[in-house]
Amino acid sequence: MSAAAAAADTYSPAAEAGSKRRERREELRRHLAEDADWPRADGRSLHDCRPAFMQTGPTTAASGSAYAEFGKTKVIVSVFGPRESKKAMLYSDTGRLNCSVSYTTFATGIRGQGLENKEYSGMLHKALEGAVMLHTFPKTTVDVFALVLESGGSDLPIIISCASLALADAGIMMYDLVTSVSVSCLGKNVIIDPTSDEEAWQDGGLMVSYMPARKEITQLTLTGEWTDGKITNAVELCMDACSKLCEILRERLKDPASLASE
Amino acid sequence: MRDLHLPLNQTQRVRLEAALHELQTLAPAAASAAAVTVADNIPVNHEDNILKGHGTTDQDGEVVATLCGVVERVNKLVYVRTLRARYKPEVGDIIVGRVIEIAPKRWRLEINFSQDAVLMLSSMNLPDGIQRRRTAVDELNMRSIFEENDVVCAEVRGFQHDGSLHLQARSQKYGKLQRGQLLTVPAYLVKRRKLHFHHLEQYDVDLILGCNGFIWVGEHVVVREIADLKEDEQKLSAEAETFTPIETRRHICRLANAARLLSALGFTLTVELIIQTAEASVSSNVEINDMLGAEFYVQTAEGEAKRRGDLLGKKR
Repeated sequence: MSAAAAAADTYSPAAEAGSKRRERREELRRHLAEDADWPRADGRSLHDCRPAFMQTGPTTAASGSAYAEFGKTKVIVSVFGPRESKKAMLYSDTGRLNCSVSYTTFATGIRGQGLENKEYSGMLHKALEGAVMLHTFPKTTVDVFALVLESGGSDLPIIISCASLALADAGIMMYDLVTSVSVSCLGKNVIIDPTSDEEAWQDGGLMVSYMPARKEITQLTLTGEWTDGKITNAVELCMDACSKLCEILRERLKDPASLASE
Repeated sequence: MRDLHLPLNQTQRVRLEAALHELQTLAPAAASAAAVTVADNIPVNHEDNILKGHGTTDQDGEVVATLCGVVERVNKLVYVRTLRARYKPEVGDIIVGRVIEIAPKRWRLEINFSQDAVLMLSSMNLPDGIQRRRTAVDELNMRSIFEENDVVCAEVRGFQHDGSLHLQARSQKYGKLQRGQLLTVPAYLVKRRKLHFHHLEQYDVDLILGCNGFIWVGEHVVVREIADLKEDEQKLSAEAETFTPIETRRHICRLANAARLLSALGFTLTVELIIQTAEASVSSNVEINDMLGAEFYVQTAEGEAKRRGDLLGKKR
């Protein structure tokens, strides 16, 4: 009997360990949904964003580029152009904005294909379209390529913020910097800047892309179950976080600008 | 500046930082105050009829920047000069470009502008130097003038109504550039001057500072009257023409490296500064291939800081 127990200790079956982990996650999920002041898995409170690290100029070949790291999520965005539209097409007064979001093969826990994410590409285009002054570069195209190095939740909002930083770095005329933040609704709580776990548990999600200086929203995406009062609160929460994120972007842009003007 | 990735050792790093700091303090305070980012307000003191130029827009009666850069004011005009954007051509600019395509009656050139520039066959001097209508035969022989990937020097002629850029090369000094190096630097490092063609006699080298940030360093070409050239002369000199003396090649490399170094440090490129840097490398016995090493970078930065400091001291 004792020998069997010892054996169980040494070779703890995978199923059992898995179920323990699942239990712990289930407990965390329940707390997040019900307790208002329970710390999240990474120690943040419900309305805290992850620390943001942003930098311009990781890709030297591009006209402009930016790197963003929010917790585990790591993104590189490169902007090319404005350059002559390669596809032979009719004359157009306005420029074109081409967006493409792709994941590396090792971005998620499950090894993927690293293909272009069509849905995110379209959403990125929609979010930036309103901010870029397309009429300032007729007949030409601006290409925005986003590459997610590691996916750790809130990927799209981070891609959007990073892309607007890269566009500003490339010297493309914009009405304002676009920043984007998402929130998740879990039970009775609304949590900001969710990680991939929290995104998986959410009842509903909301993403807001915002131009803080002009106080205009360029994109708003709402999914899942929400109640009226909560939506208003959540949008305000997002807009507030966007303004704060924009300050970080501005600082980043000021910093290399003062160096280069020597 | 930020493309600078040097294997600096500890002392070199300290020296470089000191030199850069020195440069920063020497720069006029207004320059750093005028830096704006997207959506920053540009204070105009509520003056009447301000002209809003490039990179600015109107928002609720305020002037707002739409680009990152430095605010420039010329009388009533307020505009933003960008530091990293592409080249913006002006009529009369001398540019260096590379042929990327041959289209009917025209060449397309890459000049670091948002579009490709167009050089029409009709705005070229023909090789025989005769002014006449361009025929279909000329059109077929376009490749004998410029081929794809040739480096060409030309002048900005103007914009068409659809916004495309036209060039002209109606002078002996324009045309194909051969036997030399093409460097690309950020366009803002080349200022518009009276003179963009420089013949450096002491080196037998031609230096062309294209306004678009393309810089040509090549062997000196003697501009000759085409009528003087006889067929047999051409044949005789053909052999000599294909040969560039090793000394000249060294000079070309040294000057090109000097230009690379200065652009990496973010200094405005002038002939004087390029020559000075090249001379400094000779006098301190730096080999051509060592010019892009960490030590010479630091030396150049320190030298420039000292030079600017002296200039400022004199003014005071």
